[in-house]
Amino acid sequence: MRIGNLITLLATLALAAGASTASAQVAVIAHKDVPVDSISKGDLLDYYTGDVQSWGDDLAIVVFDLKARGPVRNAFYEYLGKTSSRMRSIWLKRKLSGEGNPPESFETEAALLERVASTPGAIGFVQKSNVSGNVVKILVEIEIDEG
Amino acid sequence: MRRHRRLLLLCCLLGLGTTEAVAQFGELPITTFGYFQTSFQHRSSFPEEPAQNSFSLQQLNLFFQTDISRRWRAFVNFETLNNFSSSRLWGGFNVEEAWLRYRVNPAFTLKAGLQIPIFNNLNEVKNRTPLLPYIIRPIVYETSFSEFIAIEDFVPARAFVQAYGYVPAGKAKIDYAAYLGNSPNIRSQFDARINNTDSQTGIDTTITLLAGGRLGLRLGELKAGVSATHDVTNEFQGAEALFGGPASRFEGLARVRLGADLSYHLGLLSFEGEFIQVTYDEDEADLNVDKEFFYGTLGYQLTERVFIYATYWDTLQRLVVFNVDGPQGLIPVLPLEISIEFIGAGVAFNPTDRITLKAQAGPTDVVRSTTIVPFGETTRDRWEFTIYGIAASVLF
Repeated sequence: MRIGNLITLLATLALAAGASTASAQVAVIAHKDVPVDSISKGDLLDYYTGDVQSWGDDLAIVVFDLKARGPVRNAFYEYLGKTSSRMRSIWLKRKLSGEGNPPESFETEAALLERVASTPGAIGFVQKSNVSGNVVKILVEIEIDEG
Repeated sequence: MRRHRRLLLLCCLLGLGTTEAVAQFGELPITTFGYFQTSFQHRSSFPEEPAQNSFSLQQLNLFFQTDISRRWRAFVNFETLNNFSSSRLWGGFNVEEAWLRYRVNPAFTLKAGLQIPIFNNLNEVKNRTPLLPYIIRPIVYETSFSEFIAIEDFVPARAFVQAYGYVPAGKAKIDYAAYLGNSPNIRSQFDARINNTDSQTGIDTTITLLAGGRLGLRLGELKAGVSATHDVTNEFQGAEALFGGPASRFEGLARVRLGADLSYHLGLLSFEGEFIQVTYDEDEADLNVDKEFFYGTLGYQLTERVFIYATYWDTLQRLVVFNVDGPQGLIPVLPLEISIEFIGAGVAFNPTDRITLKAQAGPTDVVRSTTIVPFGETTRDRWEFTIYGIAASVLF
């Protein structure tokens, strides 16, 4: 009986952990008109550092950021291999040398999602569970390391 | 007709689509931003000089930027230095940059107009104080010292046309930059007054030009490159009065700057360093005015908003001072060697993204060797002092 309870408990915990992992994902989202359906880490870094500024002929890449330094933002920049302070330094250098502007940043994921959906060429990141319907493309899914 | 076709073809090749060629004189939105760095510095005393405390508005820069279209951008940078006040004859005011940029793709961008050329790692951003943790930058980049150190001899300060970009090579990127500018033979108001002429000032008075560039590699957080410039200078004309030879002997001396830079970020640890060597016409053994510079900074991102570092820089300048009142007319009488060495440490703290508070301290060692040519006697002077500083760099 005790063994049976233990198994049930372990199974419940495993399911809970699985459900938690599934919901704790960051989605790299883009406007529906962008000419790609997935994106490599290297390309994503090039877009966020401003090395590459257009999707192709005439569609500019518009990158968006979150203001709050929460798990979603941390997971995104960790995925890119950069700390927040390093990204700040890269953007500041681009801005002060006239090469580009830092990404516009949003207080909430809902605001960011709305802007990506309404801005051609836009790209951003939100928690995957916040993406509903078919208003944006999901290019990459990143697991949030909650450890 | 054929000419018109060629012109049209050229326009198409340059990407000047008809929509962009149509004249549109409406007002464009202009982005205005800038920064300043204000500091307090204490310099300890040394023989012949008492200690010094001073507040200073080291630098204030104001930028205007407008995107004429997606590919065309105009950018203007006004800079003031050292508590600038024209009525008090303090500091300086410069139009540092005024350029038009045409970006084709990551591999090719063209910039025309007054600009700071890419040379090593720091030159292009040397005066962007919010980016740098220093109060006193590595000396050849410290523009607030430009009144007493010829920093433009070490690094190119201005170019007028530059192409740059990068080419991917596997996981790496090959950066390049190539530029043209004026030689250092620029007529100043001082020259015009000395020669009692009413000539145009600020222009190159020779047919020579500055040519330079950088070739670099980026691989992850590793960035390395080599830089070079070539120009010619008439600065030493008249030196033949002492060293002999025809009047043209020291005219148009070739000057070559060579540079190497390396920076690397490993997690929270970072290193950046540079080397610069400036040589003047190698065939002229009599006139040694070569220069060298090195700096290295080891940094650590203590927290997301606190950066600490240790820095070392060392520069060796060889100079010739002309005595215009000498018995033989214009003769060099004081070959000098000045070395300046600084070992320091500092901290930069960002309470917000727009404010950087800084502290820096370190001992400075200046050694000057002077040879008075008519007597062949060399004297050696040495000054040691310590500089302490605190500063705020504010982005607005």
